[in-house]
Amino acid sequence: MKTKTSFFILFLLGLLAWALPSYSFNFGDVLKEVEKSSRPPEKSPPKEEPEPAKPQAQQPQQNGGGGLIGLGDSLGIFDKKTSKILQQSVNTLKALQPIGYEEEKAIGGRLAVEVFNRYGGAYEDPELLRYVNLVGQAVAEVSNRPDIDYHFAILNTEYPNAFATPGGYVFVSIGLLKMIENEAQLAGVLAHEVAHITRKHALQTLERSRSLQGVSSLTLTVMDKDPGLFDKLIDEVSNTLFTKGLDKNLEFEADKYGREFAYRTGYYPGALKKFIQRLGASKKNSGSIFNSTHPTSRERYNLLNKSSSRYKKASLYPTLGKRFQVAIKR
Amino acid sequence: MNRLLFSFLFFLIGIGLSSQAAAETWYVKKSSTKLQAEAKARSKVLGKLNKGTPVDILEKSGKFFKVSAGGETGWIFRFKLTKKAPSGSGGDGDVLGALGGQQQIAARESAYGSSIRGLSPVSEEHAIKKGVSPASIESVKEMERYKVDDDALDKFLEEGRLGAYAD
Repeated sequence: MKTKTSFFILFLLGLLAWALPSYSFNFGDVLKEVEKSSRPPEKSPPKEEPEPAKPQAQQPQQNGGGGLIGLGDSLGIFDKKTSKILQQSVNTLKALQPIGYEEEKAIGGRLAVEVFNRYGGAYEDPELLRYVNLVGQAVAEVSNRPDIDYHFAILNTEYPNAFATPGGYVFVSIGLLKMIENEAQLAGVLAHEVAHITRKHALQTLERSRSLQGVSSLTLTVMDKDPGLFDKLIDEVSNTLFTKGLDKNLEFEADKYGREFAYRTGYYPGALKKFIQRLGASKKNSGSIFNSTHPTSRERYNLLNKSSSRYKKASLYPTLGKRFQVAIKR
Repeated sequence: MNRLLFSFLFFLIGIGLSSQAAAETWYVKKSSTKLQAEAKARSKVLGKLNKGTPVDILEKSGKFFKVSAGGETGWIFRFKLTKKAPSGSGGDGDVLGALGGQQQIAARESAYGSSIRGLSPVSEEHAIKKGVSPASIESVKEMERYKVDDDALDKFLEEGRLGAYAD
């Protein structure tokens, strides 16, 4: 009897040892895995330090001991040095107020007009446009910012290029579409552009802009009252998007997020990397502004390659080459 | 003695299981997210959830999470959910919110969401003033008017075995 009882106790202990980790697999590791997929694939590149705010008329508190910090100072909670540091931090945050969606859309809409104006206008093919919109919407739906409207258009230029302007406007040239081999590659390209919007890359550039220092709030009312300010904004972002290009790290970030969004949609996650390689090898690309506004294909390929091991069984995911070929009619 | 030992062991197992089973809260990313009867894209839609709705994760099956939301239990395609609480309800959002910053912006974005339609008059006037061709302005308006309806997108995903329809 004693042996039986001991055996039973041992069995229970064994069960306990097995049950806890296995249960935590179901409800712990699995969630972690999904969370990992819902999160950016890798840690975002370090963001540049914002420029310190210049003294402004609209910020009466910034040189004095206003607010809680000033109160803390006068009550002797903080010493002078700490107060000053805290005050500077508050001022910096105030000067870098994020741009709201309505304003983002106004800036993005104006830049979208500029994209059509500079790059050949709209390409007329309703069926292809519908197809691009379906692929684009599919990746936008699983992005980290699915709650805004996304609009996709095809540009009538043979130069391979793709753009995103703030607020949800995405463009792909017919030249680029002709270079793409399958739907997974198209999804990767569109998702890269969607990632620029979800991560608000162009707006980050604006918020850090030297030329906009002294402006604490960018509302439509402010923009409407001061047309010079809207001019400045548009010039600044146009210069970034169409001439200088975004910071290299932001492009790499868009590649990683783009691949992730395409993967979440169910596409082969290696497709963007493959297309970047193809683009790098193409002579068509030499005359495009794509070269001056993006890091080299080799750099982009290598960075994607480094982190590709996190996509297990990637080869099982579809590329949908046939559906793409039918849509592009070739 | 044995009885005591058994009680202790059952107690330990109970504690272990209940702590592991404590549901984790995630949030709905976009309004009109489907809550479905089964972990299948074609299963019955029990209801639609609004953006920011907290859901308790009960179970995982493939690309679906079994969740409990507002007394209802069902399945949601996992990439329609986020672990991050809606903006303004924690972390940096609160810090910035206290300083009169990000929280307000997040609230505005959430309130407008997809209700902001069309090219802003500020953008259009600026483009006209700069002498941009009316065709380019019209192209943006057309781009904004173009809509892919939910059913068409659903059919497209199903045909390609993508999204919730993926194997």
